Amino acid sequence: MEKKSMKGYLYLAPALIIILIFTIYPLIRAFMLSFMEDYNLVNGSYKGINLENYIDIFQDRHFIKALTNTGIYVVFVVPCSIALSLIIAVLLNSHIRFQGVFQTIFFLPYVTSTIAIGIVWGWIFNSDYGLLNQLLSWFGIKSIPWLTSKQYALPSLIIFSIWKSMAFDILIFLAGLQTISEDLYNAARVDSTPRWRVFWRITVPGIGPMISYAFVMGMINAFKVYNEVYALFRGKNGPAGSANTVVFYIYDKFYNQSKYGEASAAAVILFLIVLGLTIIQRTLTGKKE
Amino acid sequence: MEIRIENLTKAYGDFKAIDNMNLTIADGDLVGLLGPSGCGKSTTLFMLAGLNKPTAGRIFFGEHEVTDIAPEDRGIGLVFQNYALYPHMTVEDNIMFPLINRKVPKNEARDRAYEMAKMVQLEGLMKRKPKALSGGQQQRVAIARALVKKPEVLLLDEPLSNLDAKLRVETREEIRRIQQEVKITTIFVTHDQEEAMSISDKIAVMEKGVLQQYEVPQKMYLNPGNLFVATFLGTPQINVFDAEVHDGKIYCAGNMLRSGCMVPDGSYKGGIRPESFNVTLLPSAPDAIRAEASHVRMTGRELQIRFNLGANEFRLLVHSDMQIGVGTPFYLTTREKQILLFGQDGKTVGKF
Repeated sequence: MEKKSMKGYLYLAPALIIILIFTIYPLIRAFMLSFMEDYNLVNGSYKGINLENYIDIFQDRHFIKALTNTGIYVVFVVPCSIALSLIIAVLLNSHIRFQGVFQTIFFLPYVTSTIAIGIVWGWIFNSDYGLLNQLLSWFGIKSIPWLTSKQYALPSLIIFSIWKSMAFDILIFLAGLQTISEDLYNAARVDSTPRWRVFWRITVPGIGPMISYAFVMGMINAFKVYNEVYALFRGKNGPAGSANTVVFYIYDKFYNQSKYGEASAAAVILFLIVLGLTIIQRTLTGKKE
Repeated sequence: MEIRIENLTKAYGDFKAIDNMNLTIADGDLVGLLGPSGCGKSTTLFMLAGLNKPTAGRIFFGEHEVTDIAPEDRGIGLVFQNYALYPHMTVEDNIMFPLINRKVPKNEARDRAYEMAKMVQLEGLMKRKPKALSGGQQQRVAIARALVKKPEVLLLDEPLSNLDAKLRVETREEIRRIQQEVKITTIFVTHDQEEAMSISDKIAVMEKGVLQQYEVPQKMYLNPGNLFVATFLGTPQINVFDAEVHDGKIYCAGNMLRSGCMVPDGSYKGGIRPESFNVTLLPSAPDAIRAEASHVRMTGRELQIRFNLGANEFRLLVHSDMQIGVGTPFYLTTREKQILLFGQDGKTVGKF
């Protein structure tokens, strides 16, 4: 027995070591850093162990702005992406022609680099000759400065991110839809079930676990939003920081301002928010089963 | 409701799943659609349900043609092979669902659902989810859900195939009881000949998309229309042998089995059921055939004995008190009207 378990740990060792060095250690380190006042990366000195960093960031209006922005972002991106993906997945699953082609098209954003997509959307959003404004002009809407005004920066980011995160959601919903027995739909037909009721009573519950999974993953990813901001605003956080997010704030504090403690404190706050929401979500869906 | 199928054909490309089927099912009958897998029996059922569209032909329910009518407007109840219960609804909601969809008020729907549940003996399980039910219980929920809207026709696709052996026998009696109680024209698909024979008013045997015979079980067993039907019904299978007829006498490998038959001379396929032999240890008649047991199997109620006549192997059943072992010689005659002769095309020529 002893020997056998030794062998098992040996197999696990390479992965464990990498996780320890690159995930667990930084996690603990960041947690510690968040309590160290004025930490110096070069000589490792700090003024004291206290809550100064936390007090500082909560008094920093940029952090509050980043936090609200991220909150708004999550509230819009996750449900919108799930709702739209659900509709598209159901349509894709309904034996339409060129199903494979459509599936590929909708999945492309997932495998394409965010930076590349950002550049394309940069053009779509362009206020002078962007596609979106062109489209809106047909409905008599005046050209909107999507990426260059404080007012529209966050909505632009949200639109872009909804589109981007739909790829993954559609994929798992499609996989889920295929597990629902065709017989259930036939039974519903014989029972003369209206379409909307088929959707709400058979389709949605049938892929309930996938929706719940998409919700958790979408939320975690949305709270960590950084790449999308970087890609859309060419490395900036929007005009006058109007599209700042928590992770962008952390990055900026750490690398540009060298405020390691405050960056770590913000990271811990983000971690606690995500942890809290995940626990709430799990208890809610756990009860249903 | 009488069901009439006229020249029904279902083709997938060049392959004909159902080939020009004609069948009339009397009102209130319980009919078994029987055949090996891939014979088109489920396809036929789903065309009756309206979930499959026929390539050609017409279907009538009573006086009304339903060929182009949608499944929900045909007045059918359908029970799927895997029951297709809505997994996220309770038993009660499952049974009520067809009524709610038909805008029956909720109270009335619930009353009718409980009434149905009582008939299929599901009371006390109404608040459970399908997952928490046994296979037999799920089956009954499916039947209740199919019947609650008071359909004119009940269709069941392999209703017993997902149940274990003991439950299968119970459930088939249950289906029969419910069918008798509701007096609804019922068609069920099965590949199990015993199942079909034991509860059906009539059996329709199909093979390769062609209806072979439609008959009352006993008549079909005793007077199969062709070699396929003869071999498909009965276990152990009917013995099929090469038969020669000379001067009205049927021979198998030189042994005369029967005389005085009004059949033209020639080669035929003969058929005789394992239970249709008279076996004695001493010659009982001058024309008794002597044979030796090559295998003997005790099944409890009876002995199953194998023996050969020339190149033809036979199985026969005798009462288990008979003292026959491997190599024991015995004498046999055949019971009257139990030898079937089939022409080279497989059609039954006569019974002797």
